[in-house]
Amino acid sequence: MSGELQQLVPTMMPSAARALLKGVALPVASALVLGLVMQFVVGPAIGAYPASVALQVGISVMLAVSLNIVNGYTGQFSIGHAGFFAVGAYVGAGISYYAALSGIDPASGQQPSQALSNGAWLVWNDGQNFLFSYGEWRMILASIVGGCVAAGLGYIVGLPSLRLRGDYLAIVTLGFGEITRVLLTQTKPQIFDRDELAATHAKDWVIPPMGGATGFSDIPAYASLMWVWFFVAVMIFFAYRVKQSSTGRALLSIREDEIAARSMGVNITKYKVRAFVLAAGLAGLAGSLYAHTGQVIRPQEAGFQRSFEVIIFVVLGGMGSISGVVLAAIILSILPEALRDLSEYRLIVYALLLILMMIVRPKGLFGVREIWEFWPFTRAKKSEKKVITP
Amino acid sequence: MSDYLLDVRGIGISFGGLKACDGLTVQIPTGGLHGLIGPNGAGKTTAFNLITGVYRTQMGSVTLDGVKVDHLRPHEIAKAGLSRTFQNIRLFSELSVLDNVKLACHCRGRHTLLGTLLRTPRFVAQERAMTARAIEMLDVFSLQHLAGEQAKNLPYGDQRRLEICRALATEPKVLLLDEPAAGMNPSEKKALAQSIKLIREQFKLAVLLIEHDMGLVMDICEKITVLDHGCTIAHGTPSEIQNNPKVQEAYLGEPATA
Ligand SMILES: Nc1ncnc2c1ncn2[C@@H]1O[C@H](COP(=O)(O)OP(=O)(O)OP(=O)(O)O)[C@@H](O)[C@H]1O
Ligand SMILES: [Mg+2]
Repeated sequence: MSGELQQLVPTMMPSAARALLKGVALPVASALVLGLVMQFVVGPAIGAYPASVALQVGISVMLAVSLNIVNGYTGQFSIGHAGFFAVGAYVGAGISYYAALSGIDPASGQQPSQALSNGAWLVWNDGQNFLFSYGEWRMILASIVGGCVAAGLGYIVGLPSLRLRGDYLAIVTLGFGEITRVLLTQTKPQIFDRDELAATHAKDWVIPPMGGATGFSDIPAYASLMWVWFFVAVMIFFAYRVKQSSTGRALLSIREDEIAARSMGVNITKYKVRAFVLAAGLAGLAGSLYAHTGQVIRPQEAGFQRSFEVIIFVVLGGMGSISGVVLAAIILSILPEALRDLSEYRLIVYALLLILMMIVRPKGLFGVREIWEFWPFTRAKKSEKKVITP
Repeated sequence: MSDYLLDVRGIGISFGGLKACDGLTVQIPTGGLHGLIGPNGAGKTTAFNLITGVYRTQMGSVTLDGVKVDHLRPHEIAKAGLSRTFQNIRLFSELSVLDNVKLACHCRGRHTLLGTLLRTPRFVAQERAMTARAIEMLDVFSLQHLAGEQAKNLPYGDQRRLEICRALATEPKVLLLDEPAAGMNPSEKKALAQSIKLIREQFKLAVLLIEHDMGLVMDICEKITVLDHGCTIAHGTPSEIQNNPKVQEAYLGEPATA
């Protein structure tokens, strides 16, 4: 991925600086570039409504990339991914919304509803409110907290359940998603009034006021195209780095053959939990960003339907192939928009697609390999490499 | 402390009423090459599974280089210096040949999530070292030209050799080989026998070998243990084993008539 970019890095630089540049600066910079292009080139070019679709596509890609770590690399069948997504969404949204409501935002002094009415991808028109404004940093912080909470839950759910296999793990994760959904409906009504918020005590937050079954609304819509796609790129970098590392090999080896993996020295419980925590954390981050795209979030976010959607992305894209999964997520998120009239039949189409895939390409579009590994050009390069040592 | 590198004493396990392995004792000194033979279903593979911790032994003990390992989990046993191959090849078939071997270097490294995500210099250096070592190992078995190939695409004999290569990459003190010559033709078998002798010297290993090919076993092993129905029926040097009537009975199914 960054092969050509790496060649641009001057070779004479001190190694520590070079490591920092390659390890951190390069991915962050490329993610920023993608974000800015999406915001200022793609967004205006495609118009407001398609831009809002592009936001949701970004969220789907993040979910797909994160679930791919568990279901794709590690071969564990988790069907409760939306649970982590919802936890991240609620935590991130709660922090952002209540911080804004309590007036912690001295920079803009806006009421949340005002920020919302600016519209996510239009916020940049506002001038004072876009690109590195206070609220955006707060959103990022809230999202990271949301991701961490989801990751923590991933650990708690993962530790006992990853000793289970196959169907049992699937049932536990499904149960987790459903429990999350039910618990979210039991939250107290959202507080819309600043004074009312100020009057609350710590004990009022034991059951947090997250809107219950009606959902949580008026979340500051700071997740612009720029931020969503920035994090899409960051996650893809993460996922790729994990795949191309000793950790990734350990995960893949578990999927290939658990007994052999153990006998070769891989602590499979530890790595399964690692995969689970990482995937849950990234899903939580995605959830929080989703909550900041001007959505009302509802307990159904944790429901089976979204989990199933993400599983489809991963299965169709190829269990383990990042590029395949990204492609599947993009296509399958745009498709229902393109075929609006048919969107009711979406699940039927998904099911048929799944059956078709199972027959034609049971390992997904690309299997575990990446798209570029199929190009004849890279194939040739590989065989060149093979003859280094005659 | 025992004088043996691998000291297996009286291990056993029953599956339901079936005593698949009953009180097996095998002791191998450093550099020793020990054969484990017996008819089908004698419990040879079960013995391997017990020693490597896939099954937990219900009795006896396993000591490796003075350290008791029978209570450890398989990956800990691998780290302690015991590695194996599998009778029904268990390669990571979707991974490349190189990655199969690199994975086996896993237990000798440190793998932090942060290092992986940020590609810290330590992480990069470790990956490089693993690659270099894996290529070195592939070289020993002349498999380096297949490094980029998916393991499942290798011919059968190469898969067997890759498994040995992968087992060696964990840097074991004792190597357990479960029917490494199965499915090989005579010339491949000969080459395999050579490699086993070679790696034993090069890597200063003790080897425990399960094999049905008597020629191979008698040729390279110093000591042989014979199992039948989970029990040890004979133990000794190849010539002692060859002339043991009990062994002939186990294999031929009736008392040997001279
Ligand atoms: N997990 C298990 N559960 C129940 N029975 C088992 C299990 N593993 C092995 N056995 C039984 O234990 C006996 C010994 O099996 P084992 O695989 O160790 O034989 P073996 O000596 O390796 O034979 P072969 O030469 O065919 O490989 C067999 O009867 C087998 O059916
Ligand atoms: Mg066997």
